[in-house]
Amino acid sequence: MKILFMNGSSAGSAMNSYIRSVMNSVEATGHEAGELVLRDMNYSPCRGCFNCWVKTPGLCVFKDDGDTLCREFLAADIVVLASPVIMGYPAALVKNALDRIIPLIHPYLEDVGGEVHHMKRYKKYPQLALLLEKSGDTDEEDIEIINEIFLRAAINLQSSLKFLKLTNSPAEEAVNAIINY
Amino acid sequence: MRLSIINGSPRGASGNTEKLLEYFIKGFLETEGNSVETVNSIKGRPEFTKEREMFLDAERLLIAFPLYVDAMPGSVKELIESFEPLKGKNPSLRLMFMTQCGFPETHHTRFVARYCEKLVKRLGCMFSGTILKGGCEGLTVQPPALVEKVFQRFYQLGKAYGESGELDSVILAKLAHPEHLTPENLKQVIPMVNNFLWDGMMKKNNALDKSFNKPYDENL
Repeated sequence: MKILFMNGSSAGSAMNSYIRSVMNSVEATGHEAGELVLRDMNYSPCRGCFNCWVKTPGLCVFKDDGDTLCREFLAADIVVLASPVIMGYPAALVKNALDRIIPLIHPYLEDVGGEVHHMKRYKKYPQLALLLEKSGDTDEEDIEIINEIFLRAAINLQSSLKFLKLTNSPAEEAVNAIINY
Repeated sequence: MRLSIINGSPRGASGNTEKLLEYFIKGFLETEGNSVETVNSIKGRPEFTKEREMFLDAERLLIAFPLYVDAMPGSVKELIESFEPLKGKNPSLRLMFMTQCGFPETHHTRFVARYCEKLVKRLGCMFSGTILKGGCEGLTVQPPALVEKVFQRFYQLGKAYGESGELDSVILAKLAHPEHLTPENLKQVIPMVNNFLWDGMMKKNNALDKSFNKPYDENL
């Protein structure tokens, strides 16, 4: 399996070494682990122009690291969104990255379980997972709200939400959740 | 009554959020003495100086945004993060939200709406409600009579808000309709959006034959 970590933490954060240790353990079990350090990448926020759906289908008009985000996301089996919780939600760095992967899906709508969602462009999509670092003001309700929203986002990204783990738990828990032990 | 508005749409003045706000504002200004100030937050990033001043100074603030990947657009999350140092600094602020989505069902917006309500508590302000509306993509290709009805409801909502200072729950419920689609509706709406809206736009760009292009390799 190919596991991609989209690291939305800041440079000085302890989360970086936490992610590193999860990656090392995942690799030790024979899986491939890759990391995109979002703070070191350059991508504009999505401007909602829909050119990636109706003008150059599958490709964003911005020529920046959004291209890498799309390519790496699609190539993974599991994408772990690793982020601090800031103001009750994963970092804007992560949200901007997610907004930029919509070229991977198709504008057409279809009936998914009695609701309207977007159609696939590709055959397979990675599973999503959340690895979150609580802040001082993060409570249970925040985690529940994030979980609810990402369950929805996973449907629209033709994916599923594999797990939500917090960094105040031992790294082995995240590792086990990834490799399904 | 003084109302401050932050339009969080990345499309700025050319988007559907702006269009709906326009009608809300028109209604709001029907009451003599009412005034409105508006900013587009996509222009304010990453400092959001004007928006933060607005937050501190406003009596009533409406933050409006389109649904992006089931939540607020990333640039609106940047805005929210810039408000972190302002927690508790304007406890008398009446804060409300407006979220519209392209999906025909309003249900898609309920999840981020819960986030918004919690955000008001987190900021230490007073929650004044959330305006939710589905079916907003392709307002330009929808039957004009239908679109006019949506605009009129936003006008009415703004007018009532301008008079009472409260969002009218009856109009909010009408705007939120349909929450879900019936199986019959799904069968009608899906091909209509796909053929008229998306195919129409692709045809205009000579891209219909490239509709299902796969520029990235899925078998790496």
